Amino acid sequence: MTGPGSPADGFVYDDIRDFLNLEARLLDQRKFDEWNALFTPEGMYWVPLADQQADPVNHLSLVYEDAMMREVRINRLRHDRAWSQQPRSRTAHSVSCIVIEERYPDEGRVVVGSSFMMSEWRSFGLRTLAGLYTHDLVLSGDGYRIAQKRVDLIDSEGVFEPIEVFI
Amino acid sequence: MTQATLPLIDIDALVRDDEVHRDCYVSNEVFDLEMERIFGQAWVYVGHDSQIPDAGDYWTTLIGRESVVMTRDKQGEVHVLYNRCPHKGARIAPEGCGHVKGLFRCPYHAWTFNMDGQLRGVPYREGYEGTSFDIEDPRFSMRKVGRVANYRGFVFASLAEEGVSFESFIAGVKSSLDNFCDRAPNGTVSVAGGVFRVMQRSNWKVFFENLNDTGHPIATHESSYRAARQYSNEKLGGEMPFQLHIIDGNGAPPKFWSDLDLHAFDYGHSYMTAIFKAPDDPLSQAYFQSLAEAKGEETAKEILSVNRHNTIIYPSCSPHTSFQQWRVIRPISPDRTLVEIFTFRLDGAPEELLQRTFIYSNVVNSPSSIVMTDDVHVYAECQKGLETQGGDWVSQHRNAGQDQPYEGADGGVIGVGSSELPIRNQFRAWHQYMSDAARPADGDTGS
Ligand SMILES: [Fe+2]
Repeated sequence: MTGPGSPADGFVYDDIRDFLNLEARLLDQRKFDEWNALFTPEGMYWVPLADQQADPVNHLSLVYEDAMMREVRINRLRHDRAWSQQPRSRTAHSVSCIVIEERYPDEGRVVVGSSFMMSEWRSFGLRTLAGLYTHDLVLSGDGYRIAQKRVDLIDSEGVFEPIEVFI
Repeated sequence: MTQATLPLIDIDALVRDDEVHRDCYVSNEVFDLEMERIFGQAWVYVGHDSQIPDAGDYWTTLIGRESVVMTRDKQGEVHVLYNRCPHKGARIAPEGCGHVKGLFRCPYHAWTFNMDGQLRGVPYREGYEGTSFDIEDPRFSMRKVGRVANYRGFVFASLAEEGVSFESFIAGVKSSLDNFCDRAPNGTVSVAGGVFRVMQRSNWKVFFENLNDTGHPIATHESSYRAARQYSNEKLGGEMPFQLHIIDGNGAPPKFWSDLDLHAFDYGHSYMTAIFKAPDDPLSQAYFQSLAEAKGEETAKEILSVNRHNTIIYPSCSPHTSFQQWRVIRPISPDRTLVEIFTFRLDGAPEELLQRTFIYSNVVNSPSSIVMTDDVHVYAECQKGLETQGGDWVSQHRNAGQDQPYEGADGGVIGVGSSELPIRNQFRAWHQYMSDAARPADGDTGS
């Protein structure tokens, strides 16, 4: 019962913070199936290419993946002949500055902003990606589910070496 | 970086008919010479004029090591200028795409320039009286590159004032540029959706060699096409939606690849016939209708029957005509290459077609592509291996000596899909650009 906002509408700040931490933890532990199961069936994982990008359909995105494409990415990350995953990517996420930005109690939906850093080590060495998360979460009987995870990298329009894991 | 020990750069000693020396990829001296003799001579892709639709618009990029800026003036004309202030040398246009109100203004001492580079104004004018400074003297204006060609919106430039004409240079693959635009009901295309930028830890030529290489997909891309097939089998009863279909294609058996045609032309250009058949779904039908309404049914069919995978316009770009992608290759150093990927709208086509183009590009050309990542990894492994003393020669033997003159429309040379013809062809052009005595002249590359 701490943090901003009234828990009267059912959205408890601590629960949301715990959920975001759990999500990041699953990625860092490479528990990709469990991570993917945090999404609603129609849930999308979106990494826009442009700053303030309005939509994922009428513009290129670094990633715009539904359940199918996320699962294919996961299948590949596990494949023995994923050459660029030798050695496997190892990551550490930090999530902070978690703010509940919009509340829609009637729909059981809440929009949560946060900041993140992800350090990744793989064949070419260590790199850091940083940016802002926007989680569109829905609250149902068994807790929160992700309707959309938006990842705005601060260098989204910059030059990248390949990005393989989920940010 | 370890380099082999050729005493001086002896270009003839680096290139054989069916293999090339590793110094071509790892030597700093060879790279320096490439900047001078290839990127200082050849027609290099600068950008598309839809990136600078209005007077005062600009787009900055690289030709070899030269920072250049493509501009549009009040008369609608496109210019390509060195991005350098004639006063103290500061770059004048910031990186990327932008707009100025009619004049460039140097951020350092506020000298101003017309969009064609001509000096317009200099503060503290009185201080120049009695000096040799002359506002009319071209050396106090932004310098233009040697030559500029704009073919259906695609802007190429050569730093050299003299040399092969653009018409001769592009002749072999002109049909790909035409097809790229003819697919649009309005006959024009425009850049849309942003730019992907990928850094490769490998030599620029490694990427060019890969663009028409049909030998690698089944090995390099095994993880992605297996991943797609696994999902299709487990979840969709073997069905392949568009995105999975694109990824799955790389797992086609060897016969599929050798049955394709490879066409090679002067100056290192080539193209490959298509991997994917044009889809036949409601969107494709709506698109066909829009094309048929604009051009007539017969012409529309003819345009779409030209179905190609990557075209190579050596040494700077590679259009994919049937999915409206355009890759630009910028050498940074012997072991770093920047690839920029543009996506185009077919003007007059249904907007959903552009959306499908974005989907294709998200899957195949994004820095997050699960396909491309294995390519980029393997290129870097090539670079690291070539830096060792484990061998001096790189093989290009596959189907060497079997290429035949092609009697069809574009001429050139044809080889089976599994041939290393495009690679040998690139090095023939490379050899000619790099040899002092035999710079390519019109009709003189003999591929
Ligand atoms: Fe490939």
